[in-house]
Amino acid sequence: MRAAVVTAVMTVTLVSLSGQGRGAAPPAGPPSTPRAGALFDITGYWVSLVTEDWRYRQFTPAKGDYVSVPINAEGKKIADAWDPAKDEAAGEQCKAYGAAGLMRIPTRLHITWRDDTTLKMETDAGTQTRTLTFGKPPSAGGTMQGASVASWDQPRAIFASPIPNRGGPTVRGGSLKVVTTNMKPGYLRKNGVPYSANAVMTEYFDRLDIPGADSLLVVTTEILDPEYLTTPYWTSPHFKRMNDASGWQPTPCTAR
Amino acid sequence: MHGALRKNTMKHLRAVLCVCVAAAGASLLAQGQPAQTPAPGADAPPGPAIDISGYWTPTMNEDGMERGGGSELHDYGGFALNEAGRLWALSYDPSRVTLRHHQCDAYVTPYQMRATGNFRAWEERDPHNQRLVAIHWWAQVTEGHRVIWMDGRPHPPAWAAHTFRGFSTGKYVGPALVVTTTHLKQGWLRRNGTPESDQATVTEFFVRHGDHLMNTTVVTDPVFLTEPQVRSNDYYRAPVDHGTWLYACDDSEQIVGRSPEVVPFYFFGKQPYAREYSEHHMLPLAAAMSGAPSMYPEFAAAAKNMTDAMGTALLSPAPGRPSETSKAVDPEPRDGEIHVLPIRNNVYMLVGDGGNIVVQTGDQGAFVVDTGTGRLSDKVIAAIDKLSERPIQFIANTSFRPDRTGGNAKLGAAGMDPSLPGSFFVNSAPRAATGLFADPLRHATLMAHNNVLTRMQDNKIPEDALPGDTYLEERRRKAHNGDSIELFYEPNAITDGDSVVFFRRADVIVAGDIFTTTQYPVIDLKNGGSVEGEIKALNDILDRTNYEHEGEGGTYVVPGHGFLGDEHEVVEYRDMVVIVRDRVKAMIDAGATLAQVKAARLTADYDTRYGSNTGAWTTEMFVEAVYNSLKARK
Repeated sequence: MRAAVVTAVMTVTLVSLSGQGRGAAPPAGPPSTPRAGALFDITGYWVSLVTEDWRYRQFTPAKGDYVSVPINAEGKKIADAWDPAKDEAAGEQCKAYGAAGLMRIPTRLHITWRDDTTLKMETDAGTQTRTLTFGKPPSAGGTMQGASVASWDQPRAIFASPIPNRGGPTVRGGSLKVVTTNMKPGYLRKNGVPYSANAVMTEYFDRLDIPGADSLLVVTTEILDPEYLTTPYWTSPHFKRMNDASGWQPTPCTAR
Repeated sequence: MHGALRKNTMKHLRAVLCVCVAAAGASLLAQGQPAQTPAPGADAPPGPAIDISGYWTPTMNEDGMERGGGSELHDYGGFALNEAGRLWALSYDPSRVTLRHHQCDAYVTPYQMRATGNFRAWEERDPHNQRLVAIHWWAQVTEGHRVIWMDGRPHPPAWAAHTFRGFSTGKYVGPALVVTTTHLKQGWLRRNGTPESDQATVTEFFVRHGDHLMNTTVVTDPVFLTEPQVRSNDYYRAPVDHGTWLYACDDSEQIVGRSPEVVPFYFFGKQPYAREYSEHHMLPLAAAMSGAPSMYPEFAAAAKNMTDAMGTALLSPAPGRPSETSKAVDPEPRDGEIHVLPIRNNVYMLVGDGGNIVVQTGDQGAFVVDTGTGRLSDKVIAAIDKLSERPIQFIANTSFRPDRTGGNAKLGAAGMDPSLPGSFFVNSAPRAATGLFADPLRHATLMAHNNVLTRMQDNKIPEDALPGDTYLEERRRKAHNGDSIELFYEPNAITDGDSVVFFRRADVIVAGDIFTTTQYPVIDLKNGGSVEGEIKALNDILDRTNYEHEGEGGTYVVPGHGFLGDEHEVVEYRDMVVIVRDRVKAMIDAGATLAQVKAARLTADYDTRYGSNTGAWTTEMFVEAVYNSLKARK
């Protein structure tokens, strides 16, 4: 009998909380808009700290240099055929500046709220703009920046508590989660290491405030690409917060 | 050369002969911070704790080559290295890991978190109240065991020992576990010799995204970096135990017959492989050596204008600049108090009187090594009284210098040597019979090499401060308080009367000023010191040390000044003295004058750690001492 009661309670709890996993709204009194409910202030100017994969990011590596990228045979075939002159001739010199490559391009970011449900992220390198939309389905994509759905993400227990009315632990703060799909094919590296239109990119933007020092924005990124990658491709580029727009210098894309 | 680096790394791996497992927790406890009972609620996080327990596999999609097979030589791009850091790296020869005392060097935390191999994390909770005491993090490679204390305990004092993993405390800030690490050893930020100093501190952020764990490390190193170095490491949760958690290492002969005075390095400007990386990747020579600017977006455009001359200039110290000075934390408390650091068994380090003092206690009288400057002798005596039920019986001086002997008179007068009165030989007049300067009924017995006595007499030091029990040749032995104590004579190191004191059972060596963590060795030529004797003395210490696990722990070495060390600190110091000696010698052999040697800034890679342009012992005085010492030998 006792076991049956516990099972019943747990089932009710499961049903009521199963929709409250990562990405769901906070439990009590949800804010009226994503902007009002922001878990941290992501807006402002940020500058790349290129401390990892330095040679691949600051300079365009040689053709065929795809070390560290879990590229498959088909992807290698495309990377080995990279021809920047061809991209330039086709007006496709921005292929490395698509959403899946953009955060690793050395750049400054300018992030603002376009409205209560949309974040705008501009880069001066390549003069690109990403649009991160909360809640509603974004545009169909098919562009270099694809379609990005944003949500505030807090680590929370899916099964908060087996005991009714006890609630579950809620961590203060959290991440900005962005899932991007429908990207036009582009490059993970400037030397033509490809991603396909079927790639799905999940990013977690975390603001890390170093005690008594700078604020960092770390973009933990997973790219799944059934066409060109053998395993998920994980990177985590970081940015340092700037006080103002100093250094902001929009430049066009380059293919080389 | 790339192959050579890998070959040496493989040699390192092949040196593995036996399994040596030890709890890093033990070594951390040796840092003088026994677990304290935290205030109620002190460990309560501001929000629920994120859980990082489990098995984690690194996803090495960034810097995969350096983290796996090995980094390319002279690839320092994206590192905020200052001049000292760049020159240290350029001078580094990977063959240095063939030296016995480097073969089992572990990885320091910022590199360990980035290295290849799997990881495992688990919680340690108080069994009675389930409060989180610590998070343990085990690295497969080098058996790197970190303990992140979550119970609110303070970091150890500046004079406590350093470890490869450092001393870490954590707290939860929003969705992140934020960890602060201090007390790191000298190590690598990258496995091609890119250095991290023992003055580095690290702030880490652990953030979980489902089964993915992100660890961002921020290294602040005033010795080798101009701004914090930020890198992130990604791990994916593994549902099963990876197994193979051991990484045994034992040192061995790698090059038979090599002199212990050989330390592989490259002279400034003579690094034969300096251009290999830039030429292979068609980059300007200066690009990967530009320090902090190389991290920012403007750099690629700036690099287009870099000339070969700019790169060549970076291979040597900038000429005409004054020497840099130490950026290290001063470990001397300077608060007018004496601080006691337990070392092992019944041996303690007393800090605060201008020079480290060591006390051994037991059922006989206290055995004291060195007496500081004497300014705080009353407080030293009070501290010893608390440690020892019996008065000071013996005092050994490691040299005649004032920071070793300044408290001799007062500490001596506070003690007594009950082993002499009433003995068959001395009866009621022990002083007359033994030749001691003080009455052992009212004074501890002072021991030292005979040259200490001579120097002190030359300096007109009062009789009650003089060592009356002296020795002349290799060593003096004493069985005391259940330990075997040996004084080894080191002729012509700092002076001509230096002793190294070895507590064999406690496994503690007291080095005097032969080894410090605060400055270049005070080679006192006027009083019989020499650079060759200093190197021999450091090697003699290394001949007696052993490590407990992966190049650390084991024998503790008390420096004359600075924080408690082990053989890793001594070998880094020995390397420095040998390298500077060899650089000066090469210039002398080429006919350089003292002025030319000084102008060459031959210590530029060490000055931000040990240098000084003011005070009693400057960088210039050290270089001059090395120069004159070598010239005198010729």
